[in-house]
Amino acid sequence: MLRKLKNFFYVYVREFSLVFHDQGLILFFLFLPIAYPVIYSIIYNPELVKEVDMVVVDSDRTPLSRELTRMFDACDEAHVIGYATDLSEARRAMDDHKAYAILEIPEGFDKKITRGETANGVLYCDMSLLIRYRGFLMASTNVMMEMGGELMTKDIDNMAPLAETVMTGDLMPIDSIPMGNIRSGFDSFIMPGMLILILQQSLMLALGMAGGAKRENPAMLGYNPVNIAPSTLSTMFAQSLCYLTIMIVPVMFMIYYVPLMFRFPMAGNLFEEFLFIVPFLLATFGMGYAYQAIVMEREQVFISWVFTSIVFLFLSGLIWPRYALPPVWKALSCVIPSSWGVEGFVKMNSNGASLSQVRTEYINLWILAGGWWIVGWCSRKWVVKRQIFKRSETNKQESPA
Amino acid sequence: MKSDKGLLAILRHTVRQMIRRPIYWFGFFGIPLFMFLFITSMMESGLPQHIPAALVDRDGTELSRNVGRTLNSMELANITRTPESYSAARDLMQRGEIYGFFLIPENFEADMLAGRSPAITFYYNMAYFVPGSMLFKSFKTTAVLTKAGVALKVADAVGADAGQLMPMIQPVNIQARAIGNPSLNYGIYLGNSFIPGILQLMIMLMTVYSIGEEIKRHTSPALLRMGNGSILEVIFGKLLPQTIVWWVIACFMVAWLYYYNGYTMQCPLWVMLLSELLFVLASQGFAIFVFGVLPSLRLAMSICSLLGVLSFSIAAFSFPVESMYPALKPFTYIMPVRYNFLIYADQALAGRELYFSRWWFAAYFIFILIPFIFMRRIKKAYADPVYVP
Repeated sequence: MLRKLKNFFYVYVREFSLVFHDQGLILFFLFLPIAYPVIYSIIYNPELVKEVDMVVVDSDRTPLSRELTRMFDACDEAHVIGYATDLSEARRAMDDHKAYAILEIPEGFDKKITRGETANGVLYCDMSLLIRYRGFLMASTNVMMEMGGELMTKDIDNMAPLAETVMTGDLMPIDSIPMGNIRSGFDSFIMPGMLILILQQSLMLALGMAGGAKRENPAMLGYNPVNIAPSTLSTMFAQSLCYLTIMIVPVMFMIYYVPLMFRFPMAGNLFEEFLFIVPFLLATFGMGYAYQAIVMEREQVFISWVFTSIVFLFLSGLIWPRYALPPVWKALSCVIPSSWGVEGFVKMNSNGASLSQVRTEYINLWILAGGWWIVGWCSRKWVVKRQIFKRSETNKQESPA
Repeated sequence: MKSDKGLLAILRHTVRQMIRRPIYWFGFFGIPLFMFLFITSMMESGLPQHIPAALVDRDGTELSRNVGRTLNSMELANITRTPESYSAARDLMQRGEIYGFFLIPENFEADMLAGRSPAITFYYNMAYFVPGSMLFKSFKTTAVLTKAGVALKVADAVGADAGQLMPMIQPVNIQARAIGNPSLNYGIYLGNSFIPGILQLMIMLMTVYSIGEEIKRHTSPALLRMGNGSILEVIFGKLLPQTIVWWVIACFMVAWLYYYNGYTMQCPLWVMLLSELLFVLASQGFAIFVFGVLPSLRLAMSICSLLGVLSFSIAAFSFPVESMYPALKPFTYIMPVRYNFLIYADQALAGRELYFSRWWFAAYFIFILIPFIFMRRIKKAYADPVYVP
């Protein structure tokens, strides 16, 4: 028993020295989780897309059509850069990347309204970025409602002067309240989930590279990366404990300081969030040990793992809600720690859910942790360990010294 | 015996390497083809529909039930729950069972008819941007329709002719026309930027890997001798077969996006094929440039991964450049995939004349030419290989 404990402790301590002697691992363990969230947050930090340029083709040229243009310009989302004489001139401005939408007001706009008909306008939108289109759509909805409201009140007054008594003020105010991300900002939306994804990917790359190093020629690395106790499970625990120790600071930074610095939603209870992250980290370690089975050399982790960031981003439900995923991908998303991790963390951090409200995610993470540790154990016992011994055999043969 | 020197020998060496090593198959074909399939099939339905939502009806009258019916008739929303109170609805939202809810207050109909202006409120979860925005749209339409119905009722009550009022409910109607993507298909929007992004990532990684592994394995001096001491010949021989493979994959990508998936392509086919060819060369050029600056396999691959993944954000696929911080704007133009995206937006999506994309095409050539400055450094690294783990 004591010897086992000693072995465990030996692996734990030696893993530290291995990590800190390996620049590649330091990059993944410390640089990535600290630099990446900051870089991403800075990119998206302006949060809102405001004052997107548009041109107006006003064929009506009446006070009412000018009023319409003014109302668009007054919207937060849009900015009118000027009038074009006709559609082809307006299109030219769009082709030249000077504007992203054209508002066309046809002749007879004013007349139609005075006659009591619906007056139509057309808004042509550039579709390269949906967020711009969304802004224009909101602006146009607001303008339609505002103008419609004004005109309708005027009309009702004309038709039935008595109505005035009933209609003072707004008949039925509509309040819309965004929750979770109350500014409806892009940064606040994407970053809480991204933090979890970055955490998982950093650890996976680190574990993959550590696993790859074990098969490299020690002479090439300048040190012997093999750190294995007689018991596979005990080795895995010792290494995980080492990684957990290292990750305390980066995890603190990611789930507390990054949201604080960039003013993301922080509605959750920090202690509960930590409790939630624990099975997530364990599941990720398990997946990392399993991944080590297919990493043949250090540098291959870049080829075989980096692209999965995009896969997991989609599977996490951040871009496309998880309930709407095609069945195959939904099944795949269920075995990836980040899918549950992102979902639970976003609910806690942004929507203020308590740990008991994300019970499903929490339990699933523990199940995943168990499952991945079993796969990881198999990978370590029958693939990684065996190959290491094979390698050391050939090394002995190569260098009789 | 064939000569083991010259360009042909290097080409033979490279092709043999590409065929024999599984990692090359994986990187060249496995990953890109999987990602093409993954991303497009993910968003096959175009837009997520029937977003789970709730209705909190504190009124329970004919009018409030009408609201529920209107909400359910919306394609985007699906009223799955009818909690009793605000706090019950909020709990459901925190658990992620619904993405938003609509609240009708107590005595809504009575207050309305008495002119006490009761407010309708809807809540939507913007921690999930896409479903949140869509629910907002459905909720707002429902609220406006309800309001119009109420206005008619009130006008009727005070003696105005409802038939006369009908057109006045919406005196101004502005139709939004989404150029190139009228159905707001999310696949068109994300597939066209994310798939080339993946391609760029893999091109850069494989390029650096194939150049760098010769140094790691100390085979680079022999390779240099094969090229009669010309680093250009070595790099050319190593990368030409890859260029061909990548271009074939890029052509398949064009076929996949615009033919199999039927995404909008409003320009001649050759424009996109040319753009992809230059994009492949530019991505390879960028990778050689990175390796020239940092001739260490691991560091160069780290940088390529870092930039390759960062491209998805910094190349402004989702958040526009004009809204970023001014200090960041120049960085949006440092990756080849940015130009691929701009050309796609100009040509395939909007069908603009080639003239308007001239600068984007010109930019490709900068990436293609820049590695030539660093050839001497790569030669030095090749002649005297030092492996940095």
